[in-house]
Amino acid sequence: MNPVAITGLGLVAPHGDAPEAVFAALMQGVSALRPVFVDLPKPAVAATVAFDETRWFSKLQLAGVDRVSQLAVAAADLAWRDAGAGLEADPERVAVYAGCGMGGAAALETAYRSGGRVPPLTIPAFMPNAPAAHVAMRQGVKGPVLTYSVACASSAVAIAEAARAVAAGEVDLAIAGGSEALIVPGVVLAWQAMQTLASVPPEQAASAVRPFASDRSGFALGEGAAFLVLESAERARRRGARRYATLAGWGCSSDATHLTKPDAPGQARALRQALQRAGLQPRDVGYCNAHGTATRIGDVVERNALAEVWGDALGDLRVSSTKALHGHLLGAGGALEALITVLALHHRQLPPNAFCAEIDPACQLNLVRETGCAAPALQAAISNSFAFGGTNSVLLFTQP
Amino acid sequence: MSSLPALQALIHEKYGIEPSALDPQASMRDKGLDSLALVEFLFAIEDRFGITMPDPDPGLDTLAQLAAVVDQVLAEKAATTGQAEKAA
Repeated sequence: MNPVAITGLGLVAPHGDAPEAVFAALMQGVSALRPVFVDLPKPAVAATVAFDETRWFSKLQLAGVDRVSQLAVAAADLAWRDAGAGLEADPERVAVYAGCGMGGAAALETAYRSGGRVPPLTIPAFMPNAPAAHVAMRQGVKGPVLTYSVACASSAVAIAEAARAVAAGEVDLAIAGGSEALIVPGVVLAWQAMQTLASVPPEQAASAVRPFASDRSGFALGEGAAFLVLESAERARRRGARRYATLAGWGCSSDATHLTKPDAPGQARALRQALQRAGLQPRDVGYCNAHGTATRIGDVVERNALAEVWGDALGDLRVSSTKALHGHLLGAGGALEALITVLALHHRQLPPNAFCAEIDPACQLNLVRETGCAAPALQAAISNSFAFGGTNSVLLFTQP
Repeated sequence: MSSLPALQALIHEKYGIEPSALDPQASMRDKGLDSLALVEFLFAIEDRFGITMPDPDPGLDTLAQLAAVVDQVLAEKAATTGQAEKAA
């Protein structure tokens, strides 16, 4: 199996579309969470993207292209460009692996509100594989173009699948990541009804999400897209590409216990798989970008899963959930957090676990406190994504 | 009166394409108005003119042809309305 290098990063996120600036904002603990839809019965908080679609599309090209696809096209294009020259590859040997939880939520919302006169391109705008298809059309990708809809693990699974295909030599280049854009009133109401969103007064919107804290009350929705370019380390070396990191291991497991309740043994299986594939021991991993949704149950379960696998080494593992700052991007969350993990490794800097004034005794972890810290000896880092449906995905990155 | 100027104005408004940039006799597909964009444009035409367009003829490819269809639908609508007024 060929080692897999990460050679390109692109994102369109609540903190912006320049990876370095986004990472700097996270290091400073800047929250992108704001009140949204103030006329809803219950206050809502979300992290939205300031996106200028005219940078990527003419008005004509926007016909039937939902925001979720627009964000994907932009982030994938930025990743492709970031990967630099020498990318010329046989289009049939290039692939797109895209995660998306819901598809074009805005298209559906518009259809519902149309009073019966439904826009004719609602279906192609809404379909969850539209983002991947638009990325493929934009970049001329003619190999596998696949969509993974695995709720909150969608794009982490997509990246792992891309890594597997690259490592096996099935494809030469992969654009892998995900997009999500569902900050529309109907979807926000549905999430509120699910009782998993942070409940805070509007003036506390910025600090609504408090992973692992005693006073945590859930997450906030976010939107955006993030993509990585993956290729074999050998190919990257040959073309002199910058290598941010190596995707050395990945794990994927199913709880098979409950549709929405997380399960520590299931998560632990994914963590062990990732370590095993990378040939590493828990103590070799210095940082964990946690799933950390700040729900009452989820954070404890994740802590227990880490404790089960890390054992005595748990205290040496620095942990943070950056969802406190960028919200939960659901189908795009795994990709955004993978990108942040890669940059943490690249810069040997750890972004903070914000707004955790007092850690929950049931969540005892060595959290990265505000405002982040240097990690000069960092050699390996993981990103956790644990989904509704019971699928657990862990990505393990090492220095290139 | 031909609907062509109104269609050109609508295309400019929706897609930012100047009337001078789209020859009424030239292929709309070549200008990026592919079958999906055309479906959406027909929807906008219906809204603008208050008419129901027939399913597009697959051979329809120029703005002049499209204007002719709109003119015909408008004429039929006017005739129907006229008859209704006479009957009343």
